[in-house]
Amino acid sequence: MKLADFQSLFQQRVLAGSGEADEPLLKKLRPSPRGAAPETLLDVYQTGYRIRLADFVSQDHPGLRAILGDEAFDALVDDYIDQCPSRDPNARWFTTGLPDFMRENARWRDDAAAVSMALFERAMVDAFDTADETPLTVQALAGFAPDDWARLAFEFDPSLTLLELVAGTIEAYGAAISEEAPAKVDKPAAGEHIEHAAVWRVDDESAYRQLEPDEYVALSEARAGHAFGDICQMAAFQQAGEIAPERLAQSLSSWFEDGMIIGVRVREDDDQASNTPSSA
Amino acid sequence: MEKPPPLGYGLGLRPIYYEEILSSRPPIDWFEIISENYMLAGGRPLAMLDRIRADYPVVMHGVSMSLASTDPLNFDYLRQLKALAERIQPAWVSDHVAWTGVHGVTLHDLLPIPYTRESLAHIVERIQRVQDFLKRRLVVENASTYVSFVDSEMSEHEFVREMAERADCLLLLDVNNVFVSSFNHGFDPVAFIDGVPADRVVQFHMAGHTNNETHRVDTHDQPVCDEVWALYEHARRRCGDVSAMIERDDNYPPLAELLDELQNMRDIDARISKERALSAA
Repeated sequence: MKLADFQSLFQQRVLAGSGEADEPLLKKLRPSPRGAAPETLLDVYQTGYRIRLADFVSQDHPGLRAILGDEAFDALVDDYIDQCPSRDPNARWFTTGLPDFMRENARWRDDAAAVSMALFERAMVDAFDTADETPLTVQALAGFAPDDWARLAFEFDPSLTLLELVAGTIEAYGAAISEEAPAKVDKPAAGEHIEHAAVWRVDDESAYRQLEPDEYVALSEARAGHAFGDICQMAAFQQAGEIAPERLAQSLSSWFEDGMIIGVRVREDDDQASNTPSSA
Repeated sequence: MEKPPPLGYGLGLRPIYYEEILSSRPPIDWFEIISENYMLAGGRPLAMLDRIRADYPVVMHGVSMSLASTDPLNFDYLRQLKALAERIQPAWVSDHVAWTGVHGVTLHDLLPIPYTRESLAHIVERIQRVQDFLKRRLVVENASTYVSFVDSEMSEHEFVREMAERADCLLLLDVNNVFVSSFNHGFDPVAFIDGVPADRVVQFHMAGHTNNETHRVDTHDQPVCDEVWALYEHARRRCGDVSAMIERDDNYPPLAELLDELQNMRDIDARISKERALSAA
């Protein structure tokens, strides 16, 4: 058998797991001098594969396991491993497709709370190792003339993700990762209620906090490149409520304190703000 | 054979030990990293690595080069690997006699091959291409295996020796892997060590494994067992002054226990040196 054919067969049997279809491969194995059944030895690779990949998902999604419970979580992981084999040599990226898989899969897409948790946890994982930038302090504003303030635009840390989540996702995540984490955390009730979150990295660790609706809108607009003064104008019309300039200034101050802002510039009239949606 | 100078006694760098290493500066001569864990855009892993690299020699050990795969070489992966090597300037870069997947899929495991002339020509050609791309001689490790194949035309150590000489690469001798594979397949581990070209060996791996009675599995979650220590002594006598280290990847003990294992290496090596000095006198 050519090497390529052998590898195709071997991989097929690892992906499928042990079963009668192993027979052609088992015939290729030398007998164990220790009396181990060939099925047992092949199963080291078959079982090891699933354990390893399941472990990657478990490490990245403690909140998802907590709200689904072990049985449902393991079923989800089995589905994901079966339908989305890893294609990146770096195991770091295996779990990154899980939220999209859930949204596209009939068995999981209606579980809005689980999808919400998966999205939140992916943002936490992604924030951990995005490119390094140096955050600015609020002192960076001192270099700008008061007349320019309305035209100030901000650049945000690349780790920052803004999320619209099922209400209760953040609390459930906090309960799942707390030191006294119960085995199961109540799943948030998926309904019309939503909450907003910012996820980013600060001091080498992923961080998150819940955002009020008005701050979520303002931060989304600021990250899209809109100027401070424009956001004041735009935000005033958001359903989330009127944002007074003072409230926006308060938010801006907290973005600096949180280490989210890495650049400030005066936006010229012909600058184009990004139209890219700023939520995950 | 020109080899990089030996580094002494090292440890596989794992996140659980970052803080203790940085705060207590334990007696560890060098560290080996799992390359893929640092092939990232930024964040804590790279920050920690930079701090540790400032004070210690580091070698890069990969698990995804898939040298024996019949898929095309993954140059996106190799470019990232090369960029990391340029950043941290490792003493060397290593990977395995193994494949990790075909048809674009990766199984995240070090998979076995039949030791055939076709496999040999295939892996030799790929090692040469990787060495050309990385512009450095690659260090290649024998993997633990749990199955062997009726199609094999030579022993593992014959394959490794031929591979190293034809590809002109260096070798990482994983002493635990030799023991695990010899147990599983019934070959003589001493003959394996005697069969590989000692002048190409630049590094020893030592680790623990799981004994399932009919077979042993390379789990890196146990202390090094007595049989592997005995084999280490033989490898040391045959290969001389080679950088040696402990790999631990699960069931992490206090760092002090790993330091004890490093001390055990030092003690064995000191005894061998003393014997040699006495016999030369």
